[in-house]
Amino acid sequence: MFRAGQRLLMLALLSLLGGLLGATLVRFAPGYGMDESELDPRLSQASRDAIRSQHELHSGLLAYYGNYLVRAAHGDFGRSEWLNRPIAGLLEERFPLTLRSVMLGVLTAWFAAIALALAGLASRGWLLELTGTLASGFLIALPAAVVALAAMYLRAPVFVAIGAVTFPKVFRYLRNLLAHAYEQPYVLAARARGIGQARLLFRHVLRLVAPPVAALLGVSISMAFGAAIPMEALCDSPGIGQLAWLAALNRDLPLIMNLTLVVTLITVAANSAADLLHEEAQ
Amino acid sequence: MNGKALLRVACGGVLCAVFAAGLFAGSLTHYPYALQFREVPNAAPSALHPFGTDSLGRDLLARLLYGTRVSLLLAPAAALLSTLIAGVFGGIAGLAGGWSEKVILSLADLSMALPLLFVLIAMRALLPLDVSPLLSVAATFLLLGALGWPSSLRVTWAAARNLRDSDFLLLARAGGCRPARILLRHVMPNLRAVLFAQFWISIPLFILTEATLSMLGLGVMEPLPSWGNLLKGLEDFSAVRANPWMLSPLVLLLVVVVCFQFILPAQGEPA
Repeated sequence: MFRAGQRLLMLALLSLLGGLLGATLVRFAPGYGMDESELDPRLSQASRDAIRSQHELHSGLLAYYGNYLVRAAHGDFGRSEWLNRPIAGLLEERFPLTLRSVMLGVLTAWFAAIALALAGLASRGWLLELTGTLASGFLIALPAAVVALAAMYLRAPVFVAIGAVTFPKVFRYLRNLLAHAYEQPYVLAARARGIGQARLLFRHVLRLVAPPVAALLGVSISMAFGAAIPMEALCDSPGIGQLAWLAALNRDLPLIMNLTLVVTLITVAANSAADLLHEEAQ
Repeated sequence: MNGKALLRVACGGVLCAVFAAGLFAGSLTHYPYALQFREVPNAAPSALHPFGTDSLGRDLLARLLYGTRVSLLLAPAAALLSTLIAGVFGGIAGLAGGWSEKVILSLADLSMALPLLFVLIAMRALLPLDVSPLLSVAATFLLLGALGWPSSLRVTWAAARNLRDSDFLLLARAGGCRPARILLRHVMPNLRAVLFAQFWISIPLFILTEATLSMLGLGVMEPLPSWGNLLKGLEDFSAVRANPWMLSPLVLLLVVVVCFQFILPAQGEPA
């Protein structure tokens, strides 16, 4: 309980720090707060000043960040400069799709990695070992955007492409962990005594690999969110990955910073949960 | 020499050959990378254009060679920067312990939890998008180097922490050696192998990330070629199906990244 509280405090501190960094970047980015309407020669100085004060150009960084936090606590993340729409509405529209793709992608990657790693190690057959090694070696050497193009060409769903990008890293780590566990003397002794594969796996091997596997779960969620950008951008899937890409192309700084903060919060929370699981498993 | 060592030597040879081809691109092709042959767009390989031309009629071999120069010279430069950051801060965290260790590791944890691509495009968006191609190359690889350090830092920190209580450091401290000198003269040489491995691992990672960034239009800007913006041509499926030689940048990138993977000895193997 104490550890969980400590983790939550750390999560809050890290999120606030991440938010402050984001606010610093937005506040001091070249061209921040510039409005095309300021160039209109018909406007008086008073009108220009009014436009500028609307952008909070005169407020310091901490006041700017404080205002942002107060508004964010009330569900107001500001407006997208490019789409001229509330960012909270955009997140509400697009986030569920990305979350679904990422979760299904992580599940696909883990399912494929566990199946291939276990089948290869349990059967000790070279064909399955080679298949796993070649598939992970090939996929890890491809840029995520090329995997996205391949998915588009094959008309595969976005989550399959996210899974394909996440799979090789999960597979390699998992396979090494399992191979190490299967080589332990007590596992070899159990095998020699004729214990069945399932019993060997659940009673002896999984106990040993559970802590690092829990930690890997958190990392794989972060990897999958990263993979969502090229997948959604190139496969035309209207999630927050595509929104982040379009925001970057249109230099919509408030939007992209809010998206980055949301993803930070989720991935830091996932990693903290994984760390807690890791400690529990140990 | 066993099979694995032989494979490593072969991979090293391939990497040297590709690196040399990029470095001496001007001697291997007569065409500038941006020169257009407007009468022959998407041309098949011929004596004049051994790899054919792209949709704008530019010689694909020239673009591939100059793109190799950009990707293979700047990815190691970015890897060097990230390894240096990881070495210095990981070394300080490992040696100093206490609050500085906690702060540095918390920052690394925060950076590691963030998907690199999200941060990269956020940082890239802070810069104007219509920058010159040369500036776009510098910005892309500087960002990669400046943001790609967290996982290397964790490894370096673990190695430095193991050195913290070693006898030779105790002796150096007892002899009145200053912290900066201890870090640079005593710790860094002992972290050389770890740092070299991290440098080597970072290069293919940065090559792949640059490729994805450039394919999304947020990396190296046209007309300057890089492996990433050469792969942008693959978005036109009908052109690729009609001109399969457009896949040559992808094949080269795959070969190079696979060679980088094979060249490092696996854990537990002799170097």
